[in-house]
Amino acid sequence: MKVKGFLKDVGGASRVTKARLSAFENASPIPVKEDPIGNVAREWHPGKLELVVQDIYPVSPTAKTVRFVRADGKQLPPFYAGQFISLEFNVNGEIVSRPYSLSSAPYEARQENGYVEITVRKSKGDGFIADYVNNELKVGDHLLGNVGLGQFYYEPLRDAKRVMALAGGVGITPFASMAKEIAHGTLDMDLTILYGSVSSDDIILKDQLAALTCDRVKVVHVLSGDEPNWTGERGFLSAELIEKYTEGDTSYFICGPQVMYKFLRGEIQKLNVPQRRVRFEVFGQAKDITTFPGYPLEKRDEVYTVTVRRGTHEDRIPAKATESLVVALERANIRIDTACRSGECGFCRTKVLAGDYYVCPENDGRRGADKDFNYVHACAAYPLSDMTIKIPIE
Amino acid sequence: MKFYKDHYDVIVIGGALAGLSSALMLADKGLDVLVLERHNLPGGIATSFVRGGIEIEAALHEMMSIGPEGNRLKVGKFLEDMGVFVDWLKVPEAYHASLPGIEVTLHPGLETFAKEVDREVPGTYDKVLKLLNLCHTVFDSVNELSIHPMSKPMMLLKHEAFVKTAGYSTAEVMDTFDLPQKARDLLAPYWIYVGSGFKDLPFTIFAVLMADYIGYGSYIPHKFSHEISLKMAERAEAMGVQIEYRQHVEKILVKDGKVYGVRTARGDEIHADYVISAPYPNKVYTSMIEPISEVPEKALKMVNGRRLSLTAFSVIMILDKPAQELGIKDYSIFIGDTMDTDELYKDLAGLGPYRYLTCICHNYGNPDATPAGTCSFSITTLPRVDGWKTVTADEYDAVKHRVAEQMIDDMSKYYGVNLRDHILEIVIETPMTVAHYTGMWNGCIYGYAHTMEDHIVARLQTAHEEKFIEGLEFAGAHQISGDGMGPAVTNGRKAAKNVLDDIKAKKEAAAK
Repeated sequence: MKVKGFLKDVGGASRVTKARLSAFENASPIPVKEDPIGNVAREWHPGKLELVVQDIYPVSPTAKTVRFVRADGKQLPPFYAGQFISLEFNVNGEIVSRPYSLSSAPYEARQENGYVEITVRKSKGDGFIADYVNNELKVGDHLLGNVGLGQFYYEPLRDAKRVMALAGGVGITPFASMAKEIAHGTLDMDLTILYGSVSSDDIILKDQLAALTCDRVKVVHVLSGDEPNWTGERGFLSAELIEKYTEGDTSYFICGPQVMYKFLRGEIQKLNVPQRRVRFEVFGQAKDITTFPGYPLEKRDEVYTVTVRRGTHEDRIPAKATESLVVALERANIRIDTACRSGECGFCRTKVLAGDYYVCPENDGRRGADKDFNYVHACAAYPLSDMTIKIPIE
Repeated sequence: MKFYKDHYDVIVIGGALAGLSSALMLADKGLDVLVLERHNLPGGIATSFVRGGIEIEAALHEMMSIGPEGNRLKVGKFLEDMGVFVDWLKVPEAYHASLPGIEVTLHPGLETFAKEVDREVPGTYDKVLKLLNLCHTVFDSVNELSIHPMSKPMMLLKHEAFVKTAGYSTAEVMDTFDLPQKARDLLAPYWIYVGSGFKDLPFTIFAVLMADYIGYGSYIPHKFSHEISLKMAERAEAMGVQIEYRQHVEKILVKDGKVYGVRTARGDEIHADYVISAPYPNKVYTSMIEPISEVPEKALKMVNGRRLSLTAFSVIMILDKPAQELGIKDYSIFIGDTMDTDELYKDLAGLGPYRYLTCICHNYGNPDATPAGTCSFSITTLPRVDGWKTVTADEYDAVKHRVAEQMIDDMSKYYGVNLRDHILEIVIETPMTVAHYTGMWNGCIYGYAHTMEDHIVARLQTAHEEKFIEGLEFAGAHQISGDGMGPAVTNGRKAAKNVLDDIKAKKEAAAK
């Protein structure tokens, strides 16, 4: 065995060791703390930020827009139009989080005195946070928010340049963000919004959308209610109507209430477009879990005891069979990190150590190995017996 | 509310493969171990994610040092010894090489590989096999010496090839084999995983890489690398290890030159005799040790004297047709317009276009990887951190998309199919993505560059002198065995062994 000669060969290990030690010897002793790549990551994803309500203003007879700025006066993170913010509300001492699509545009967050906005409609008696935002939240209130989450945004490498938004009700908000960004010249896509509402009073952001209409942004209002003086489109967002406004290769982006999703899945099928051209925003927390296939109706009135392990600490809390584990934890004032509340993002990933549970089939975004080892996303999992779970310490 | 015990034997910062390997080995010896992981699941980049209902591998191309059932290699055997049973699937080939004048698929097995190279470059069989055998001999020596160190004369006697090649670069040793350029090119593609040009890459590293991958083939877990991470974490917990997710350790507490605990971002101060750190020594010695005055100048000179290695840029796609229909025929393909590694290494310091790409189609190794009628296809390059350090938050998205588009276009040209017409899901992973999810220093997943100035043999020789704080060990790609998921496990074991040796030495000293 010879590379360059015996002596040189056998001296190799000593030679490289000396080289290494001398490199250290010659190095500077001054600490280098810079982590510019980490800094960019932190600028995009700073985690939960303390926000202040700067303004609240009506955008329809039934909805309000809330504007937030950072409490520390720093710049808000970049995000993609269509993404959401997860906000933590303190309602009578109970911390409850909710995701809201940002209705403001990314450029508005990054400009001087930047801000983000959400637009929330008054509930029809079924959304206590929606009511809280509409009735109780006030200018100057502080709350925590995680800005720029979710996968519902235009991806130029994947999507058709022409996007048709199929929006229902408050589902208009991510498209309002896109429309603003397009009109501002910083999002290179064409957007046609088919916006379904019950009545013209229900249309959210109507004037704002009208002001954004241009070559690249079109808005078509569609009313399903009986409104005699309405001259625009009527009915639901049917396949026929979608086809009428479709021009060439189009990606369909869908955001709206759960009933609309069920309807539109059927309509989209009729259009015969490739799967990659259809994108649904997450489903949201199931309105009534007992209506989903496989839910054991005989357990719907049960209240179980869930033992919650955090580190070496344990609590026992009550949990209704019809409410997700996240809701049970929030009611018991135990902090858990959540964001999408649709089983997708996995922020509330939880280990089930014992007990039975039901996972909402619309919202089962778990990894295969997680399923094998009894992990659930607590926002989409419902107790069916007494349980023991382990969650991160917040 | 109290979430921790008053005291642990060992706190492991970081629940990825290295930290979990440490935890498993320490728990196996009866130690009380706490693992603190900043993310909400184990594994670091050894993980998966779900998009549009489809689970997608985050990082793993192929894992070395696993070996077939019944004859496991170092990493495969350690995991099974610890009670971690992963459903390993064998990757069917070594790689497909698409290089200037070359279009060939090569398979593992030293003789098979040499035969296949000979078919492309006739008359090279003996020389290539001889080189691969040399690699294998060096590989065996490294494995043995990393467990049983011995004196220099003894080493020369028993590990002659290892000793005699230790002082040379890959280029220097390769030159002695007098191979035609085309044969050299066919032996080079795995280079990307170690990332120094051959003129500066220690032959020892090249030898270990080739012997392991070509000699024994590679493996992937059935349920993505999350299966490895999760099974390790589950097993560790079953052995009594406490693992807490979403706990970001900010400070390592030191007094009189000795570690005594950590403090988390939440404010918990937790005490232990030993701390094993996945955070880079750069971060630990510049901002984590408290008080910072406990950091000796030598430690700073050491981290400043080392060069950060590679990070990763991947375009991961789920395509809406089976691989065959798109013309994708191989599990892994290395493609480049040159195989001059020194040239390519310079290229990696920039922001693209990158001239050397690695593509993986998981379906060929794991038929269950994606739903019927679809396939997964990722395009990766492993850039140096240098170029990416210059990108600002406002430029980031545009740079990321420009680089990704170029990579997709390059592969579309290669296949003669516009891949962009088939994208169901796409995720672009950048150095910033790595930094975001793992907190890795500058998004660097590859530790320190393997160079002739930071040679693995030198690292082994001086490791004992590079302990600057008593009770503080490191486990991660920044340690002796370097980067990759297999070496991560070995690095974790080494950190645990250092702790166990220290405990033993202290007990013996106390007995005297």
